[in-house]
Amino acid sequence: MTIPGFILRNALRNKRRLILTVLSVAISLFLLTILLTALKLMTEPPTTDQASLRIVTRHRVSLANVLPEKYQYRIERMPGVEHVSKFTWLGGIYIDEASSNFAQFACDADRIFRIFPEAVVDPRQEETFVKEKNSCVVGRKLLERFRWKLGDRITFQAGLWPCDVELVIRGVYHSEGLDETLVFFHHDYLDELLGRRGMVGTFWIKVANADVIPDLIARVDAAFHNTDAETKTETERAFQLGFISMMGNVKLFIGSICTVIVFTMLLVTASTMAMAIRERLREISVLKALGFTGMMIFTLILAESCGLALAGGVLGCFGAKILAETLDVYKLSRGFLPMFPVSAEILTVGMLVALGLGVGSSLVPAYTSIRTPVVTGLKELD
Amino acid sequence: MTEPIVQIRELSKLYSHGEIEVIALDRITLDFGAGEFVALMGPSGSGKSTLLHIMAGIDRPTTGQCLVQGTDVATLSETALAEWRNQNVGFVFQTFNLVPVLTAFENVELPLLLTALNARERREHVETALELVGLADRLKHLPRQLSGGQEQRVAIARAIVADPTLIVADEPTGNLDAHSAADVLTLLQRLNREMGKTVIMVTHDPRAASYAQRTVHLEKGELLNEAL
Repeated sequence: MTIPGFILRNALRNKRRLILTVLSVAISLFLLTILLTALKLMTEPPTTDQASLRIVTRHRVSLANVLPEKYQYRIERMPGVEHVSKFTWLGGIYIDEASSNFAQFACDADRIFRIFPEAVVDPRQEETFVKEKNSCVVGRKLLERFRWKLGDRITFQAGLWPCDVELVIRGVYHSEGLDETLVFFHHDYLDELLGRRGMVGTFWIKVANADVIPDLIARVDAAFHNTDAETKTETERAFQLGFISMMGNVKLFIGSICTVIVFTMLLVTASTMAMAIRERLREISVLKALGFTGMMIFTLILAESCGLALAGGVLGCFGAKILAETLDVYKLSRGFLPMFPVSAEILTVGMLVALGLGVGSSLVPAYTSIRTPVVTGLKELD
Repeated sequence: MTEPIVQIRELSKLYSHGEIEVIALDRITLDFGAGEFVALMGPSGSGKSTLLHIMAGIDRPTTGQCLVQGTDVATLSETALAEWRNQNVGFVFQTFNLVPVLTAFENVELPLLLTALNARERREHVETALELVGLADRLKHLPRQLSGGQEQRVAIARAIVADPTLIVADEPTGNLDAHSAADVLTLLQRLNREMGKTVIMVTHDPRAASYAQRTVHLEKGELLNEAL
């Protein structure tokens, strides 16, 4: 027998309690991992290398205000600009509200895939898309979700704009980093349906070099300063975070839930460990009588507690990762979550929380047991 | 008496419960010779277990000295005292106090985990100790698979496995039937006679005390029939 073997025997002595404790830690850390991943997705949306070469110009007041189309020609002529596309959110309803949790954007068909080169589309499909005004290109996941085929007609009922939009699917894109649940269609077509021209939600600008971005942002906003529609230009990242911030303080909300989970777990685990050690007070006193020092006893208890918590942590955190990779989260969330990557960073946080639980829950009972005199421990339960 | 292995000088122990003070031992002076088998007798509350605990280094006196092989155990730090116990004292308790999740072999091996012995050497020591107490065929049995007498013999094997000079036994037959008690006492007697171990045993039972070479009586914390 070895000391680690002895720790293991102690941990396994009450199998029902062991299973319940490990499971309670595992379920809590599973929830924590899921919540932290969701929080990360919401506050730090996935990005690609190309995103660092894109900036977005919108109305200075809010996203609900539109910009004149003519701005596009001035922006295009600015130094460092490679491509500019109109980009207006349709906000249409497909079938019903519940099924419509994906975005449709009116854009410049001939430029959009230059601006988003990480969205890969078959060149022939793109060519057709550019030629046909009422056509669209959809993301791969969206195509699979609704079992669409190329050539299918899809109709979006009026959402943000007072017109229904009927589109023909002419292409499908796939991407490693870009959300695969978007619909791109012709801005001209939206203008035509609305019976007006010249109003744009945002302009998306692709630059040749990231170094020009600070100057370009200043230059764009300065160009439209003191006009009826002043602009606010920012990086794609800043734009996404600004958009997310409209959901309210999600970070605080989810953070609060995480704190409650961890605190509750600490109480449950601490209570279990205290009970387990209380039951073994006489045995601990016998060990001390046999020559085990206080520090050794402390280490034995700490190792046992950390072992249980880490076992729960592995089960919960890695269980969440395996589940996220195995299940079709996009389908299960009915399109709300296009992807659900449990990162190594979150797994590390989860395991550190587990370790913290192990240490935190055993400190008081371990300290109490080593402070209890041998004679008291022997008498108490004799 | 042979060369004293335990020398107790003016030893007192007071327990405080709020304002109430209870004198458990009152200025005891006593010697135990090396290789002696001594029975400590007395009614409940006479201080015999307290005296045994102090000699074994699991309790400390309020005043006075307790020298075991020349070491004043009361002056050692908790860590040093733990190490000292491991090397010098073997414990036998009334309720056996075996670890229920460990086999007989592993229970006996426990004190050796604190030594520098390797696994093979530990195995040899444990097997010898269990053979000595007549349980060589029960190595893999858990305590619940053993009778009370067998459990106590495992506890004795655990007490002697590290080869201590002093064996302290606190009512070792208190939880045993007459037959098992006789076996355990005979075993303690053999350890004393054949291996030269000093055995100090607390007991209420005059029959158990008859196995010892000397009996020391305590009452209300005072020594009745012993004097230096």
